[in-house]
Amino acid sequence: MDRRKFLKTSGAAGAVAGSVGLGFFGYEAGRDPDSYTGWKNREGGFQTFNRIKWAVEKPTYQKTGPSRRVDARTEVVFSRIGPLFRNWKEEDGTSSLPEYLKKFYDSNPEVLELDLRIKKELFPKLRKDREKYNNQFILAEAWSDAMGAVWPEHSQEPPEIADFPERKDQKQLTMKSPEKTSKLIKKIAHQLGSTLVGITKLNPDWVYSHPMRRRGIDTDKPFEVPKHWKYAIVVGVPMSWDPMFANPNYGTSHDAYAISRIISVRLSAFIKQLGYAARPHTPGTEYDLMVPPILVDAGIGEQGRHSIVVTPELGSNFRPAIITTNIPLKPDKPIDFGVQDFCKACKVCAEQCPSGSITKGDKVEIRGYKRYPFNAASCHNFWYSKLGNMGCRVCISVCPYTRKANWVHKAALEITAHDPTGLADKALTAMQKIFYPGPDPQDYFIPSLGGKNASYRKPPWWLRTEDFIDI
Amino acid sequence: MTFFTGGFFWFIQGILITVIVLAFRAWMEDRNVKMFWWKWLLWGVWILTAGFTIAFIFTSLGEGEPTAAVKGGIIFSLITIISGAGIWRLINKKN
Repeated sequence: MDRRKFLKTSGAAGAVAGSVGLGFFGYEAGRDPDSYTGWKNREGGFQTFNRIKWAVEKPTYQKTGPSRRVDARTEVVFSRIGPLFRNWKEEDGTSSLPEYLKKFYDSNPEVLELDLRIKKELFPKLRKDREKYNNQFILAEAWSDAMGAVWPEHSQEPPEIADFPERKDQKQLTMKSPEKTSKLIKKIAHQLGSTLVGITKLNPDWVYSHPMRRRGIDTDKPFEVPKHWKYAIVVGVPMSWDPMFANPNYGTSHDAYAISRIISVRLSAFIKQLGYAARPHTPGTEYDLMVPPILVDAGIGEQGRHSIVVTPELGSNFRPAIITTNIPLKPDKPIDFGVQDFCKACKVCAEQCPSGSITKGDKVEIRGYKRYPFNAASCHNFWYSKLGNMGCRVCISVCPYTRKANWVHKAALEITAHDPTGLADKALTAMQKIFYPGPDPQDYFIPSLGGKNASYRKPPWWLRTEDFIDI
Repeated sequence: MTFFTGGFFWFIQGILITVIVLAFRAWMEDRNVKMFWWKWLLWGVWILTAGFTIAFIFTSLGEGEPTAAVKGGIIFSLITIISGAGIWRLINKKN
């Protein structure tokens, strides 16, 4: 073919390809979530990862022995702290505590020491530093309070009452198929504002043996998993990105907690209107079950070294709620996009964790499942060793997967997911440590504990109190 | 979506890269250097490397990561300059 002919053929092929491309462009532009002004993040357009490609039959945690359900009264730090502080008498020791709590602390004296440290040592130091330094966090705290101001209350009735439609004559409508119902539920969840949605059959191992209080359940008796808790629907949203990167003091869980809570309460109402049972399990602490493994089962992500679920779209920046239901659904499959291998090599969260609560070692068997151990008591200690908003979240901020969805980080995600050699994991971990370093973990503490009130990143301009208020 | 993150920007970029290719070909013809397919391939790889470096620096600045911009800028610029020198020696051969 001579040069001129080649040029003409190329021109004709280019015209065809260009026209087809314009067709695709037009179609995509027409349905682009960005075109839904005001509702663009409610179109499901941000659940972009091709989960079907990475679907696996078994979740990426391993069952290695007989399982045991969690007793939320003692093993969930938020449940045991209140009764401990209310009942503790120094002279009587653990004898001053309710029997279940005494038994727990007698078997776990190191946990008792950490829990009591909050009252004895951390509170007084925190109070002193708060007076001196906390003014710089006024706007951050106001933002957190604003986001937590709308916080729907849950029913105090037990599941056999609270989960079902209030109207006794409400008929259970016949759904055409579980596939169609799943599609419908996911669309509704997105429309309600959920960034990610997933569905799984509920594994009873994840339900607390003794749930938290104030959920209408007698927590002194072993809890039998209700028969109508057949499926679990996962909903949730990320925390606002810029404050989240300024953890542990400027960020807040309340922004995403409140939104996830509202979504789950609304989705439960939607399901009940169809005549089926639905129960929201929501942040802050209104859960009857463990959330992370349910996210893994539902294909939302994989559990990382820091115990938090890493999602492809949001990294660790995902605050979920669960709805247990009996509406017939088609479950999603778990996914494996390389997080287990990545976490094995990375360890950034463990190195940056101010309280050293995240292990740098290997997985161990916990309650019959192999996973990374996590010291919730020492993590909780740190919550009272820093100023600003409640909680820490540094492990979320520093996780290499927790990145905004620009081309750099999208490309990095695709490279790690597709690389079978592990070389990309090593290269990207090295880049994470060189390009995105954090402060010395000791600097995250309050000055009374030898720190500098540091945050992982500077706060966004709209949370810098000193720029707006005379302090 | 702004102009620089929209489709029209990439349309303009496409036109610009076409002009650059035509100009480069004319320049090499003037220098009596024959451009084989593998030379174009190397040239394309280098253009992508250089483009990646520029975009990485400014994306990092845009997302509030100046350390990544500086360190990444230095590392990727060095790679771009060194590979550019090597690729130029290969492309600039007369036969």
